[in-house]
Formats: sequence, structure tokens, C-alpha cells
Amino acid sequence: MILLLAVQLLILNHLHLFGYATPLIIGYMIICMETGVSRMSHLWWGFSMGMLFDIFSNTMGMGAASLTLVAMMKPYVLKLFMPRDIVESFKPTIENLGLSRYIWYTMSCMAMLHCCFYFLEAFTLADLLLTIGAMIGGTLLATTISVCIEYIVHNKLAEREVSK
Amino acid sequence: MQNLIDFILKYKYWFTFFLMEGFCLAILIRFNNYHGSVYFTTANSLVGGIYTAADGVTSYINLGTVNAQLEADNISLRDEVQAMKHELASHRIDTIKYEGFNKTRYKYIGAQIINATTNRSNNLLTLDKGSDDGIRPEMGVICSSGAVGIVYLTSAHYSIVMPLINVKSKISCSLKHHNAFGTMEWKFGDIRSAYMTGIPLHIPIDKDEIVETNGFSDIFPSGIPIGTVESTEQSTDGLAYTIKIRLAVDFASVRNVSVITNYNHAEKTRLEFQADSLMNI
Repeated sequence: MILLLAVQLLILNHLHLFGYATPLIIGYMIICMETGVSRMSHLWWGFSMGMLFDIFSNTMGMGAASLTLVAMMKPYVLKLFMPRDIVESFKPTIENLGLSRYIWYTMSCMAMLHCCFYFLEAFTLADLLLTIGAMIGGTLLATTISVCIEYIVHNKLAEREVSK
Repeated sequence: MQNLIDFILKYKYWFTFFLMEGFCLAILIRFNNYHGSVYFTTANSLVGGIYTAADGVTSYINLGTVNAQLEADNISLRDEVQAMKHELASHRIDTIKYEGFNKTRYKYIGAQIINATTNRSNNLLTLDKGSDDGIRPEMGVICSSGAVGIVYLTSAHYSIVMPLINVKSKISCSLKHHNAFGTMEWKFGDIRSAYMTGIPLHIPIDKDEIVETNGFSDIFPSGIPIGTVESTEQSTDGLAYTIKIRLAVDFASVRNVSVITNYNHAEKTRLEFQADSLMNI
């Protein structure tokens, strides 16, 4: 979690795709949480992570509100993509969901996160095209990075399994 | 109560979520100047709109009361109009005052000063009206500020006035509050000042007291202002005051005047002349 926050604050916050789209990779922490973790824990994790991000990025309230929203909505989004017959704890990974479903799932959550964050940041409908551009750019970039991270983690775990 | 608790427990995630979001929005508005200003501007216009709408609704609801009040006002005003009409009908035109006005001794003829001298000892004014307009010698001339002078000569269309600022001009005048009378004279020099002589020493004189015509000469009606007391000193014979008067009329700027016609003046002069003749026999 700290590594994710550090990467976000030190590297990604300074990345402005097309001049305004900044990917918010911190959403990955909520996305990859298992379904077994209680919804209350989801909320508190999202809220705490968002607050930390806000304090260090000087965006008071925006990150926390967005991440709390994603934490609240994640179970409903995941239900759309996960197999119906699973009852026990389910971890949303490429292996469990398949690459295509995983990308759609990640993109949906990231879109929600970026929509909320950039609308709160703009706080007006005056520059709607600019806001939508930032949302789409940030979502695509954050989804790509998240899938890459997931892919690396997945490969490492697979290698570890093979070496055992 | 149990149902309420069950309801809260059932939806505790949602309650927590809304509380967290509310907190986030609060700190968003509190710690970001831009968001704070946008929020307060929007909130103000929103509240203003709500108040306007509420006021419109309240006014509409109160229209019945307003109508009743207007109706009551109309009835009251109608009653008043009727009462006034009745009162008016009971009066007939009062001619007494009108006849009295016609019988007044003085009438005024409006005129304009078309030429004036103010830098000589024998200053004169020329009026644009003459004997054809009813002006005769020895008629008084006044303006809105006070007495101006006396008509000296007339032609058909013009008149010459001897103003107060002429060394030959002598006008009977009195102090407004003391009924003490004397004569006003002018000494060559300052056109805003003149002198009043003949006030006995026992009369207390206040500064700024009004000096006015006393009506003795019959040229001016009584009470026309001449000026105000500026300073006092004893006359050379030591029997009376010599009062310096600040003249009410500014002769450098006066333009519109009225000539006073006294219908009884000839009659009075004739009677006085007859009395003098009898006394001299």
C-alpha cells in the first residue's frame, strides 16, 4: 500500500498525459481487494488511502471522496464480471477473471474513480470537454498501469509456484 | 425503536459511506479556496431563488387579505369623497375677500431694470415701463429682497428711479422690533451700506435687527425690508443714534422689480396740502 502511494505521489502525480490527464493508480489497492474483506474495511481503506493521497497532493477531499466511492461500489461492479457460482472469498485477478474481463472490471472501477476525482477538481461544467478528456486519459492510463502491475504480480506468483 | 436500529444496522455501510462522503465534501469546501467560493456563490443564488419563489407563493396566498384591505380602503375613501362633496355643496363662493382685495390701497406693476448706475453719488435706475403702464413719479419700487427706490421721472415707456443708493434719497424707516422710526440716507461709497438717523438714545438696538419701511410716506407700505443693523454710533449732536445699515438689496445684481401704485396717494397729498394752507392763514 505504501509502495503504491509512493509511486503515485512521487512519479504519477507529475505525469500529465496530453497536458492534463494524471492517472490515479491508488485505486488499484481497492480493485485488487478480495470479496472476503468486509465492506466496512473496504470503506475505511478507501477513505484512509484517499486522505493520505490528499494530504500529500494538496487535493483535500477529492481523492478521499473518489476512493470511498470506488470502495463502496466495487462489490457491485465486481459482481458483473465474476462467475455467479462462487460463494467464498474471491480475489479479482487476471487468472481468476481472465484478461478481458479483468481489463473491463479495472477500467470500470478506474473510470468511476477518475470521473469523481476530476469532476470534484473542476467543480464546474464550464470546461466539460477538458474534464472529460482528463477523465478518459487518466482512466486509460491508470487501467494500463494496473493491468501491467497485475500481470507482473501474476507472473511472479506463477514463477514462485513453478520453483516450488 | 428496534426497527430503526435494525434499519440502521442493515444499511450501516451506506450510512458510513454517506458520512465519509459528507466529510470529504466538507473538507473540500473548507480547505480549497476555489471550491469554497463556488459553493458559497451557488448556495447564495440557490437560497436567493428559493426565497424569491417562497415570497411569490406567500404573496399569492395573501392576495385575498390584500384585496379585502384594498376594498376597505376604497369604501373609506368613497365615504370621504361623499363627505367632501357634501361639505363643498354647503359653501358658496365667498366674494368678501375678493372685493376686499380689489379695494386694497396698493397694486404692483412688474418692471425690469434696463439701465443702472452704481458708481456715482446720484445713482439712477431706468425701468422698461412708463406712464402708459400706469407708473407715475413718487411711486415706490421694490424687489423680492426689499425696497429699491422711488420713481423720479416717467416718460410714456420708461421710468427713472432714484434708488436708495442716491445721496438725495431719504426714506422714512423704522426698526422692526422697537417701533422707533428715523430716516435712511446714503453716503457716497459703499453700495451695500446706508445710514439711519433719528433713533433716540434710549432705544436698545440689537445687531442684525431688521430695518423696514414704516408706511408714513405712503410711497411704500409698511414692513418692506430695507436692511439690517450692522453697527451703531452716536450722532455728532449727541442726541440720537446713527445706525449703519447693511442694505437688503444688492443693487449690482437686481433686475426684476415691482412698482407700487397707491390709489389714495393723491387724495392724501391733497388733504395734507389743504391742512397746511389752512394753518398758514
